[in-house]
Amino acid sequence: MYRALKTKPWISLLAFAAPALVFYVIFLLIPTLGGVYYSFTDWNGLFRSYHFVGFSNYVEAFTEDSRFIYSLFYTLKYVLAIVILQNVIGLGLAVLVESRMRTKALFRTLFFMPNMFSVYISTLMWTFIFSTAFPQLAEKTLLHFLDQPWLGSSSMAFVSILLVSVWQGAGYLMVIYIAALQGVPRDLQEAATIDGATPFRKFLHITLPMIMPAITICAFLTLNGSFKIFEVVYALTGGGPGYSTEVIAFNIYQEGFARDMRYGYATAKAMILFLIILVITVTQVAVLKKKEVEA
Amino acid sequence: MRKRSLIPSSLIVLLLIIVTIFFMFPIVLAVVNSLKSQGEMFKSVIAWPKALQWENYKYVLTEVHILRSLYNTFIITILSIVGIIFCGALAGYKLSRTPGKVSAFIFFLFLSSMLIPFYSIMFSLIQVASGLHIQGSVYRLPLIYIGLGVNFAIFLYHGFVKSIPRELEESAQMDGCGQLKTFTRIIFPLLLPITMTIVILDILWVWNDFMLPLIMITDYKSYTLVLLASTFFSEYSTEWSYILSILVLTSLPVILVYLVFQKYIVQGIADGAIKG
Repeated sequence: MYRALKTKPWISLLAFAAPALVFYVIFLLIPTLGGVYYSFTDWNGLFRSYHFVGFSNYVEAFTEDSRFIYSLFYTLKYVLAIVILQNVIGLGLAVLVESRMRTKALFRTLFFMPNMFSVYISTLMWTFIFSTAFPQLAEKTLLHFLDQPWLGSSSMAFVSILLVSVWQGAGYLMVIYIAALQGVPRDLQEAATIDGATPFRKFLHITLPMIMPAITICAFLTLNGSFKIFEVVYALTGGGPGYSTEVIAFNIYQEGFARDMRYGYATAKAMILFLIILVITVTQVAVLKKKEVEA
Repeated sequence: MRKRSLIPSSLIVLLLIIVTIFFMFPIVLAVVNSLKSQGEMFKSVIAWPKALQWENYKYVLTEVHILRSLYNTFIITILSIVGIIFCGALAGYKLSRTPGKVSAFIFFLFLSSMLIPFYSIMFSLIQVASGLHIQGSVYRLPLIYIGLGVNFAIFLYHGFVKSIPRELEESAQMDGCGQLKTFTRIIFPLLLPITMTIVILDILWVWNDFMLPLIMITDYKSYTLVLLASTFFSEYSTEWSYILSILVLTSLPVILVYLVFQKYIVQGIADGAIKG
């Protein structure tokens, strides 16, 4: 007992943090530092030896690898679309579910359900829908608008990828927005109603400013998550047709595992992805946090 | 006074129906068509099966070792979660309670790693894992999940501990409890709400993860459910009645768990985001 009281704070701190630190250092810190280092080498999964090549991987990615540049812009396009769609739909679902108290629990359960599936599994389900169910429904029922080259043309494949992503992820944001909506004080709403505010104006001037913190969080979650999109593309289009739906993560995966196993070069591309995510998410959080204070 | 809503109520009902159809039809179609023969499916995907074709399931169950994959996924998930909770609670609690630069630095170390995309560490992680002979082992793969997941757990515990009054542990130590005993007897039970949140978020992550098993598990015996489905899909690419059966089978555990615990899961997601 005496000893327990006398233990120096930093010793007990290290003792408590040690298990976490061990795992963190071995499986996250070392691979991260290793990744930074290897991105400056010509490390190849096939050979043991490698050489330091300076910035040449980074230079190559930006100047010679048009496929990578394409995937970069394609991912940005996807991120922009999904951040807006996901948040608008997520918030819309939350408002919709919240507006009927009696059925609230039921619809929340149903709309959130897709989130429980592995992204890979949901994508396979949708592959069945796009490849078999939709063409057949277009032919045999009145749903003629379903007759689309869902995975065959690059523009429709983009729509399909968005569709699967929204289906899978909108419920997650809905749940967060529902929690935020419940935090909006009721008396504030009622006061506005007495003052004659329309429901739309109330939403715009009371609800929206009050749930600004949730919007910051959800924007962060969708930004951070959508930059890393992999499974949907991997299972749905395989990057095709051609490489028109290739996102960064898929490009990196292909570079490392499918083409010449250039681990060093693939890691350099992943570091570029990391820097982009870092800059964009930090900016987003800073900008939206400022809005929270003003509101 | 009745609450006026943003949208008229008949429109709400209509919207609810449309949205329900959108979210449910892929699941319903997958289940219904997993009970049809391939020929019946090509006649009509929306028709109810004339006779339930359990043969698809029988075939899948004899062709692949789904129970073994279920066991693998279960073991990987359980060991990862236990490890993350154990390491995360200890570190998060102590880091939150200890003032000073060392503590702040360690916390920052954990926090700053949360944005790193998996792809940036993927290739050197393979090297580390093969060096430690972790690749392919169901019992050792959780070590990686602990390493990758402990930072977020520490982050959540760190915030939650601030809401627990210090007097409790001070009086426990006066009574002669050592630090570890104080933690296990007094503090850890109080952390239960945030522990639940972390458990839920991490179960969803580890159970459904695709990327890490894809690059780490090469041995068929160690396949997780998702990996099994992916291999099956590449072998039977258009035989949808079989593929849909395996999709239903692999998803069944999560959906059952969801239907039973959905209240806690939804709560956990919301808490995880708002406290995070």
